[in-house]
Amino acid sequence: MITFTNVSLIYPNSTHTVLEDLTFSVNEGELILVTGATGIGKSSLLRLINGLVPHHTGGILAGDISVNGISTQTVKPGGLAHLIGIVGQNPSMGFVTDMVEEELAFGMEALNTPPDVMRKRIEEILDLLSLTQLRKRNISTLSGGEQQRVAIGSALVMHPKVLVLDEPTSALDPIAAEEVLSILHRLVHDLSLTVIIAEHKLERVIQFADRMIHIESDGSTSIGTPQEVLAKSSLTPPIVQLSRALKMPEIALTVREMRRLTEGFRSSIEIPHPSSPAPHSFTPMIQSRSVEVRYGDARALNQVSADFYPGEIVAVMGRNGAGKSTFLKTIVGITSPKSGSVEVMKSDPVLLTGRARTSLIGFIPQEPSDLLYGQSVAQECDNADKDNEVPKGRTLSILSQLVPGISTGSHPRDLSEGQRLCLAISVILSAQPQIFILDEPTRGLDYSAKAALVSIIKQIATEQNHLVILATHDVELVGEVATRTIFFSDGEIVADGPTVDVLLSSPAFAPQVAKIMAPVPWLTVNDVLKGIASSP
Amino acid sequence: MSPQFHPAVWWLWSLILAIDLARANSSLSTVISLGFMTVLVITAAPQSPWSGSFWVALKLGAWIISIRVLISVLVGVPYPGRTIFTLPQLSFPSWMAGIHLGGAVTAERLSITFHEAFVMAGVIACFGVASSLTSPHQVLRSIPVMFYEFGVAVVIATTLIPQFVAAVQRIRQAQKLRGQENKHLRNWQRIAIPLLEESLARALNLAAAMDSRGYGFSRKRSRYRKQPWRFGEYVLALICAITLLAPTWGIYLLLTAPFIVKPRSVLESAK
Repeated sequence: MITFTNVSLIYPNSTHTVLEDLTFSVNEGELILVTGATGIGKSSLLRLINGLVPHHTGGILAGDISVNGISTQTVKPGGLAHLIGIVGQNPSMGFVTDMVEEELAFGMEALNTPPDVMRKRIEEILDLLSLTQLRKRNISTLSGGEQQRVAIGSALVMHPKVLVLDEPTSALDPIAAEEVLSILHRLVHDLSLTVIIAEHKLERVIQFADRMIHIESDGSTSIGTPQEVLAKSSLTPPIVQLSRALKMPEIALTVREMRRLTEGFRSSIEIPHPSSPAPHSFTPMIQSRSVEVRYGDARALNQVSADFYPGEIVAVMGRNGAGKSTFLKTIVGITSPKSGSVEVMKSDPVLLTGRARTSLIGFIPQEPSDLLYGQSVAQECDNADKDNEVPKGRTLSILSQLVPGISTGSHPRDLSEGQRLCLAISVILSAQPQIFILDEPTRGLDYSAKAALVSIIKQIATEQNHLVILATHDVELVGEVATRTIFFSDGEIVADGPTVDVLLSSPAFAPQVAKIMAPVPWLTVNDVLKGIASSP
Repeated sequence: MSPQFHPAVWWLWSLILAIDLARANSSLSTVISLGFMTVLVITAAPQSPWSGSFWVALKLGAWIISIRVLISVLVGVPYPGRTIFTLPQLSFPSWMAGIHLGGAVTAERLSITFHEAFVMAGVIACFGVASSLTSPHQVLRSIPVMFYEFGVAVVIATTLIPQFVAAVQRIRQAQKLRGQENKHLRNWQRIAIPLLEESLARALNLAAAMDSRGYGFSRKRSRYRKQPWRFGEYVLALICAITLLAPTWGIYLLLTAPFIVKPRSVLESAK
């Protein structure tokens, strides 16, 4: 279906090739997973398939790519629209119209499809993706998961033979992500659709993949079945880590397989008694009392009360649109509550300004690039040092801890999403805030950048005794770092307690290791190793 | 039941009402029309960001009336009649004869300017009604395929404006988070640069998305769910045309027509 022959790609004004001498072919009905470190060229590889690269972005392409026998060098992306459906990293940026039904029709109208055919196909797609309820809705009012489904629908409605998705689940909560992935799985099996997915959160997709393409940091690639590639690569989703830690001969990819393989091991361990957390001896840093926030008629937060103490790492979880971001914004003081009160270190966060604010609260918003205005990474770091009145070079040193070897001359916009996030984090952390709050910090982050983020967060909380709060959909990250988890639903706190208790009480939000090890309350590979070491 | 018609019919109706009002040039007709239009908007306007257009148009009309009256008090042609008050008059040299600043303000002069401005406000309100009752996207869907490219451009622009406003707010908040208050003029680039970059990135993304969905590839294009006119809509259009013959009395026929002509059934209008 798709053949790459000796493909190399170099962008203008760049000194190194993005992809080098890549040769592979994809058969019909395969689900291919593309992985690699953040900023390595996964998106470029995907956009090469329908010719957006280099037709739209510039750059020099060597070698040949053909899809269903058509070479992308001779045809513009529009000429492949009936053959390839592409869903971008941020679907909301790709919507042309404002209503679900019209968005689905847009591509077909452009290709002059007869109205009765259009009508039939749209009804089919609405049913297939359970969008019937949403057909008249304005797209901007949909949740992230719904928007993702509309984007997939508007690609599928063209009856393509190939569907290309760039991180389709990165902004989705675990349940919505599961939904999207199971739809893809069904399409592959029912319609023999060829699907190419780029994804960082391997634990979510690996079980669906037939083969994977892993791009190494030097531009070389390895292609093979997930077992083959994972066995020799540095990529370590938790399930692989666990297989290695338990010194198992083969790598299992699904919870089911892993539970079968570990049956003997699991029956040998005693269930440890849960240790009750030590009561807090400090005064709370943040106190919120029956906070209520409204957007127009909709109630975003309802009677939310919570205290936060120094040294805690608190995870805020919940489905898309449950009120997580609103809660964080209220604590930070950029949204003021309609009723109730928020106090940060005994003062109103809305009134904080300048240096007093930056040294007290550091906040990474969902769009981290809003924080950046420098023309290069180096300039951005200098600006941050100046603004925060810290010795020159501190921001850069934090950044190189997060993403080693980032080129300081490049423009922040040219960085990958993950690298840009790391830059924003360094800018905020250079002010050494006593409270560090992150909204969705793991979008677009690979395993190594995530590990670096984890170690920084832990360092802030344990060594400096500062407070860290993060809103995230990444259950693995929560299991790894959070000491306490707050669960939001429909603007209300429905659970607030130690991470182990909260995560294990809901199967959808339990990390992979916990699912494998149940009923033993271990969340991460480290927990397992510690548990084995302490038991005789 | 609230009247529902093809968006093009609503625009035709408003346009002809505006012409009739301007031709009739009567305060009484304008007052009655404004009343009818208000009822129409309250009962028939759909829930959409555009449904407030009528009230905006009314406010605009009020502004026009007050500015027009103010200017006529300050600058104006002397008009005989009952003097209400006299402003100090500025005398100009003889070659600028005919231009007066200040001077006597008569009741007649005030009432005539008010009347003119009031009719103008009524005409503006007509356009407010049309945009309240129809979504611009709906209108663009019913224009001929010839103007399709123009239509897409307008749809994108109208979708991007709210996104742009939201982006400005977000970036201002983000700069506040970095401890930067927006009081200094030299800080403008901290807002402008991220905003410009985001707009550009958005535009490029959209262009790529449209390109890969086949936009502009085929020279011919089809239309999903064309909205043909119904019988009642032809009747309404005919009534509109007839009123042009006798504007003064035609206005009343025109105003009641949407309430008399059988509207689309609820089921159809929901489509």
